[in-house]
Amino acid sequence: MTRILTIANIVWLEVLRRKEFYMLLILMGAMLFILLSIDAFGLGGVVVYIKDVGLMFAWILAWILAVNSGARQLPREETQGTIFTLLAKPVSRLEVIVGKWLGVWTVTAFATFCFYLVIALAILLQRGRIDLPTMAQGYILHTMALSVIVAIAILLTTRLSHDAATALAYILTATLYGVIPTLSALALNTPGWRGSFLTAAYFLLPHLDVFDMRRRIVHDWGPTNTTILLAVLLYAFCLTAATLLLAWLAYRRKRFARGSML
Amino acid sequence: MSAAIEITDLSVAFTSRSGTVHALRNVSLNVPQGQVFGFLGPNGAGKTTAIHILLGFLEPTGGSARIFGVDVNQTIARERIGYLAENPDTYPFLSGRELLTMAGRLFRMPRARLVERIGIVLAQTGVATIADRLIATYSRGQRQRICLAQALLSDPDLLILDEPTGGLDPIGRMEIRKVIADLRAAGKTVFFSSHELSEVELACDHIAILSAGRVVADGAAGQLVPPGESLEKFFLRTVTGS
Repeated sequence: MTRILTIANIVWLEVLRRKEFYMLLILMGAMLFILLSIDAFGLGGVVVYIKDVGLMFAWILAWILAVNSGARQLPREETQGTIFTLLAKPVSRLEVIVGKWLGVWTVTAFATFCFYLVIALAILLQRGRIDLPTMAQGYILHTMALSVIVAIAILLTTRLSHDAATALAYILTATLYGVIPTLSALALNTPGWRGSFLTAAYFLLPHLDVFDMRRRIVHDWGPTNTTILLAVLLYAFCLTAATLLLAWLAYRRKRFARGSML
Repeated sequence: MSAAIEITDLSVAFTSRSGTVHALRNVSLNVPQGQVFGFLGPNGAGKTTAIHILLGFLEPTGGSARIFGVDVNQTIARERIGYLAENPDTYPFLSGRELLTMAGRLFRMPRARLVERIGIVLAQTGVATIADRLIATYSRGQRQRICLAQALLSDPDLLILDEPTGGLDPIGRMEIRKVIADLRAAGKTVFFSSHELSEVELACDHIAILSAGRVVADGAAGQLVPPGESLEKFFLRTVTGS
């Protein structure tokens, strides 16, 4: 575990010292400040509106941070040649994969926590009420979605270049969030084997939409049932573990050359 | 006592659409403990490939390699190795001291010993005064030294150096020679590849020459080169046949 935590620590220092995180936090604050100060369509100061738009920004910015940081880790080690120095130590490739995932996931979860704090502050400034249990559940499930997204980004970089992996990670995670959930509705209107295929795809492919509690937070519907929450946490754990296992299988025998893959 | 490095009939072939390239062909070497072993060869001879196999980066297509009796594909084999890569680079966002601390943690070194070793290797490689600066601000030679410091950090029994004097000025080269001499005096094994024949001549107890993936000469430094011939002439004659 010491080695995994050390590799995660290197990722933390990298993300924090690149100042990417601070830039996103400032962007988030600036966007909410604009929302609070402009009274477009008479919505200025409406708490529901602040929650809705604020959480949307939090999801988008955390997604960008997760994909960009996740997809950068392994390719940069290879192009800089630092992978040789790292693997020359008694460190297994599984520890490298898990350490990188843990580092990116925890730093992204921390950034998301800061985004939620900014939203909470904006709500309080408008004398709105914060439903803390629902907000906490929403945050936990959000970080679970990030765990899967980071694992997917790392998986793709085990065999693809940084640019290709980043683009594909954006497309794939957006599809898992936005397109897969619509397959069941499409299946109802599609007759024959095509309908069955869509139904099978709906149940077999991973869903990222199940981690999104924004509507419950925005409309004050209260926290979700604990059993459902635990089931979704288990689902996130299984998805992350399966993705990291695939990443390790793809990486364990990978050949490196100075600067690129052989 | 097992040999520091034991390579037996090692072969590596890379297959691509344009055909098969044999990087190593039935290479066998034995490096006893406590020796400074020079690994020479022209560009593309297979030196770095052999080193990459010793460090477990590559799997051979044939033969085997062991370090202190342990198969190189086992993670534990790397616990007694220090490695300095050719043209080494490292994390520019860390300071030199942070880099060494991270490296020590990867070896699971106890805290007190880590602090002690960091002080020793910083002094040994001449980068103590810049240890708290970010590596991004280091010159090429300073980066090479901090990378050497992390290779020495765990007080390894075997130090593998791949072209260690490449980016260094004459003072840096002299310091590398001193480090190698100190390690030899401490009974450590040093395996280094180099193009610098004069460096090898000065530092090594034993020399092996690799050409086109085969070992073409292997022997004690004092006995390999015939009397009256320089290592450079011998190297050219062995590699090019002229």
